[in-house]
Amino acid sequence: MAQPLVKKDDDRDDEAEYSPFLGIEKGAVLQEARVFHDPQLDPRRCSQVITKLLYLLNQGESFTKVEATEVFFAVTKLFQSKEIGLRRMVYLIIKELSPSADEVIIVTSSLMKDMNSKSDMYRANAIRVLCRITDGTLLTQIERYLKQAIVDKNPVVASAALVSGIHLLQTNPDIVRRWSNEVQEAVQSRAALVQFHALALLHQIRQNDRLAVSKLVTSLTKGTVRSPLAQCLLIRYTCQVMRETGLNAPTGDRPFYDYLEGCLRHKAEMVIFEAARAITELSGVTNRELTPAITVLQLFLSSSKPVLRFAAVRTLNKVAMTHPMAVTNCNIDMESLISDQNRSIATLAITTLLKTGNESSVDRLMKQITNFMSDIADEFKIVVVDAIRSLCLKFPLKYRSLMNFLSNILREEGGFEYKKAIVDSIVILIRDIPDAKESGLFHLCEFIEDCEFTYLSTQILHFLGNEGPKTSDPSKYIRYIYNRVILENATVRSSAVSTLAKFGAVVESLKPRIFILLRRCLFDSDDEVRDRATLYLNTLGDDGSVAQTNKDFLFGSLDVPLVNLEISLKTYASPSEEPFDIDSVPKEVKSQALAEKKAPGKKPTGLGAPSSGPKSAVDAYEKILSSIPEFSSFGKLFKSSAPVELTEAETEYAVNVVKHIYDGHVVFQYNCTNTIPEQLLENVTVIVDASEAEGFSEVAVKPLRSLPYDSPGQTFVAFEKPEGLAFGKFSNMLKFIVKEVDPSTGDVEEDGVEDEYQLEDVELVAADYILKVGVSNFRNAWEGMGPECERVDEYGLGVRESLAEAVSAVINILGMQPCEGTEVVPSNSRSHTCLLSGVFMGNVKVLVRLSFGIDGPKQVAMKLAVRSEDETVSDAIHEIIASG
Amino acid sequence: MGLWESLLNWLRSLFFKQEMELSLIGLQNAGKTSLVNVIATGGYSEDMIPTIGFNMRKVTKGNVTIKLWDLGGQPRFRSMWERYCRAVSAIVYVVDAADHDNVSISKSELHDLLSKPSLNGIPLLVLGNKIDKPEALSKQALTDQMGLKSITDREVCCFMISCRNSTNIDSVIDWLVKHSKSKS
Repeated sequence: MAQPLVKKDDDRDDEAEYSPFLGIEKGAVLQEARVFHDPQLDPRRCSQVITKLLYLLNQGESFTKVEATEVFFAVTKLFQSKEIGLRRMVYLIIKELSPSADEVIIVTSSLMKDMNSKSDMYRANAIRVLCRITDGTLLTQIERYLKQAIVDKNPVVASAALVSGIHLLQTNPDIVRRWSNEVQEAVQSRAALVQFHALALLHQIRQNDRLAVSKLVTSLTKGTVRSPLAQCLLIRYTCQVMRETGLNAPTGDRPFYDYLEGCLRHKAEMVIFEAARAITELSGVTNRELTPAITVLQLFLSSSKPVLRFAAVRTLNKVAMTHPMAVTNCNIDMESLISDQNRSIATLAITTLLKTGNESSVDRLMKQITNFMSDIADEFKIVVVDAIRSLCLKFPLKYRSLMNFLSNILREEGGFEYKKAIVDSIVILIRDIPDAKESGLFHLCEFIEDCEFTYLSTQILHFLGNEGPKTSDPSKYIRYIYNRVILENATVRSSAVSTLAKFGAVVESLKPRIFILLRRCLFDSDDEVRDRATLYLNTLGDDGSVAQTNKDFLFGSLDVPLVNLEISLKTYASPSEEPFDIDSVPKEVKSQALAEKKAPGKKPTGLGAPSSGPKSAVDAYEKILSSIPEFSSFGKLFKSSAPVELTEAETEYAVNVVKHIYDGHVVFQYNCTNTIPEQLLENVTVIVDASEAEGFSEVAVKPLRSLPYDSPGQTFVAFEKPEGLAFGKFSNMLKFIVKEVDPSTGDVEEDGVEDEYQLEDVELVAADYILKVGVSNFRNAWEGMGPECERVDEYGLGVRESLAEAVSAVINILGMQPCEGTEVVPSNSRSHTCLLSGVFMGNVKVLVRLSFGIDGPKQVAMKLAVRSEDETVSDAIHEIIASG
Repeated sequence: MGLWESLLNWLRSLFFKQEMELSLIGLQNAGKTSLVNVIATGGYSEDMIPTIGFNMRKVTKGNVTIKLWDLGGQPRFRSMWERYCRAVSAIVYVVDAADHDNVSISKSELHDLLSKPSLNGIPLLVLGNKIDKPEALSKQALTDQMGLKSITDREVCCFMISCRNSTNIDSVIDWLVKHSKSKS
C-alpha cells in the first residue's frame, strides 16, 4: 500500500540493494500520517507510516515545529491500540520527535500505565521513553517504579531501567545516587546485559570517589563477572585504578596485574583482547609483564576473523613504538599479513615491521612495500611514509634505498597531503643526514619540474635557496629554479626569484650569471615578481661592504609576531610622515588571552575601558602610562607583567598589580575595585615599603581621587631602579578615606574616615625582565647565535612530581617563550628537551636549551645551555636558575 | 434485493459492534477519571492521583464500544483538549458542582473550547458531579452559572450525578449509547 509513494526509478531497479523508502517525500508522508486519526485504526498501516517518519528523521530531514507537534499529537492517539508492534513504534517515534517539554507531558500518564503493565515489552520500553521525557519533579514520582524495575526478574526491564539511570545521572544525579543498593544487586544478576549495564551505572555513580571505585574493582575482580562485556568494562576500570594508585608505588608487583593476566585466559575473545591491550598500555610496563599479552596477540594475528587480526596488529603497532624488542617475536606472523585481503591490516603490519625490523631486513621490506603501495589509499600511504622516515632516522646508513623509495613514490600519482608528507620527510632526512643532502635536493628538483601544488613548489624553492648554495656544485640547481620562472604561475615565479637571489648572495662565482637571469625577470607580467627582482638586483648590486646585512636580509627570519606586525602596520597606514621602522614593532608574544581565561568572570582589570579586548591589553597599558606626565620621562616601556592578585577573592576591596618595567624605572599599577555598595573611597593610594628591595627609591605616586562601588580604578607608584637586573620584595598597604553611601539614593555623607587595608607583597623576579619572543626556527637561530657567549651548566632539581611539572616550573621561572611545542612533555618519557627563546632587558636575544632527565625516585636533573648576544646575560640566566 | 439488504444488516448487527469516541474534560479534581472507573467497572476509590496527560479507556456497553479519552484537567493540559475533541461523537464536560469558586473558571474554559471551529456541532454533555455533597448546586443553578442556555449551535444536555453513590450514571450511559446509535 505504500507503493504509490515510492518513486519508481528505473535506473535503480537493477541495483542489488534497493531501499523501499528510497525517494519518499516528507509532505506525502505527513499526509499519510492522517491514518492515525481514523476511527478504525489499521495497526499495520500505522506502523508503516511511523517507519517512514522515522526513516525521514534519520535521513536528517527536519520537521517544522508545527509539523512535529501535529505528528506527535496524532501519534498519541495510537495509544488506543493494544497491538504490541504498533506500540513499539509509538515509543520510538515519541523519542525521536522529542517534542517540547510542555507538549510531551501529555503521554506521561499513558507511559506510567504501560510501565506497570503485565507485558514486559511495554514495561521496558515505557521506562526508556519516560526517562527520556521526564523532568526532576516527575522523576521523584516514578522513582519507586524505577527502583523496582532495576531488580526486576526480566532482564530487558532491568536493563532498560539501568540504562535510563545512566542517562538520568547527567541531569538528576542526586536521585540516581539513591539507587545504589538496587544497582549493586543488579551487578550480581545472572543476565549478561543487566550485569554490564549495572556495572557501568555503578561506576558512574561512584566515579568521583576514587576510594569507592577502587573498592568496587577490588571486590569484583575477586568475584565472578559472567558477562564478557561487563568483564571488559571491569578491565578498563581496573586500569584506571592502577593508573591512579600506580604513581605512589613505583616498584614491586602491581596489585591488579594478576587479574589482568588471568583475563588473558578468558573464554571470550573480546575479554582476552581487552586485557592484552590493557597490559600493553600500563604505564612503565616491563618486558616480563608484556610477554603474556604479546603471546595472545600473536595468536590473534593468525585468527580467521579480520577484526581480531586488525585489533591485534593495531595494538602491536602501538607497542612497537615503545617496546620494539617485545614485538619482534611476532614478525613472522606479521610478514604474512602484508598480503592480507584487508588493506588496513596490511598497512598496520608493514609499519609495525618497519618499526621492529633490523637493518638487514630493511631492503627486503622496502621491496614488499613497493609492490603494495599502489593499491592502498592516500591516508595509509601517509602512515607508511611516516614510518619510513623514522626508519631512516634510525638507520642512517640505509638512506640510499629509502631515499630512492621516497623519490619513486613522489613521482607517482597522489593527493596533496600525501605529497606533502613525502616532501616533509625528504626535507627532514636532508636536514638530519648530511650524506643524503645532495641526492635529496636533486629529487626535490626533479619533483618541482612537474608539481601541481603551488604550496609545495614554493616550500621546496625556499628550502633550495637555503640549502642549495652550500652544496659542492650549486650551479646545477639554477636550471631547475629558472625553469620555474619560465613555466609556473606568479606565486611560484616570485619564490623562484627569491631563491635565485639567495644563490647570488652566497655564491660569488654565480653572481654575474644570476644577475642576467634576474634582469630577465624584470619583464615579468606579474607585479610581485618584478618587484622582487628589482629589489634583489638593487640590494645585491651594491659592493661587498654591505654583503653581511644583505645576507641577513635574505636569510633572516621575521622575528616579530605577525599579529603585532599587523597592528603596527595598521597604525602606520594612517597618514604619517615617518617611514615605517620594523624595530618599533613590539616583539612580545601576547599571552594575555590566556591570562584572561584563567580568571573567568572577572572584569577586564582596571583599564577603565571594559570594552578593550585582551588583544590590545599591552597597547592599552602603554597608552595609559604615556598619558601620565610623571612617567613620560622614563623612556620606552620594556614589559608589562600579567596582573598579580594582591587580595583573596571575595574580599571588600579587590586589588591586583601590573608591573611595568622601564630601563631605569619600575611602575606598579594597582587596579582596585571596591565591592561594598555602601562605601565610596577617596584619595586612594598604596603605601609601598621597599626596605626589602635594595637600591630602589620611590620617585612618584599617583593617587586615585575617588573609587565608587564596582567601577575599577587605578593608582600608580613609580620607583627608580638600579642598572640591569634588580630583584626585590615590596610590601603594600592600601590607604584611603571611606565615606558612607546610601545605596538606595546614592547620597554620600560629608565626613570620611581614614582607613588602611593590608595587601599582599609584590616581588620583582627574573621573568619580569624577559620578553616572551618566539623564533620560527630554533635550530637556525641557535646556530646563528654561535657558541661565543654560550654558557652550559648542570643542575639538580631535586624530587619532582613529574617531568612535565619540572619543565613547566623552569619555564615559569624564566618567563620565556617555549618554541616548537617543546613545552609539552610526552607522558612516560624519561627525558625531555625544551627550547626557549626570549628577549632580555636591553634588547638582547636569548636562547635556552634545557635537557631534562628523570630517574627512578623522581630525581630530576637538568642541563642548561644558554646562548645570547651578551655573555653577561647568559650568566644572568644561570644565576636566575641557580637562585630559583 | 431489499430483503437481502435487510438480512445483511441484521447479520452485521449480530457480529459487528458499534463504536463511539468520547472525550472527557473539565477542571482538575472534577471527577473525570472517577467517572471512567465507575462507567467501566462500577468501582469507586476516594484517593485518586491527578491525571498527567491522558488515559485511554475502551468500555463496552451492550453492543456499543466506547473509546474514552480521559484528559488531565490541570491548566497546562487545557490548551491540548481541543486536539482530543476533534471528530469525537460527543464531548463530556464534568463540573464539580460542590466547588462554587471554580464554576466560573469552568464556564469560561468550556466556552473557550466550544468557540473552536474544529468542534462545530459536536454534541455536549455537561455533568454536574459530587451531588452527594450538601453544598452542591442544583441542576437549574448549574445550567445558569455555566451559561448553557447560550449554546445554541449544538445539542446540549445536562445531568447531575454522583460518582461516589453512582447516582444517575445509568442515564448518562443511556444518553451516550443513544448518541452512538443516532450517529451511525
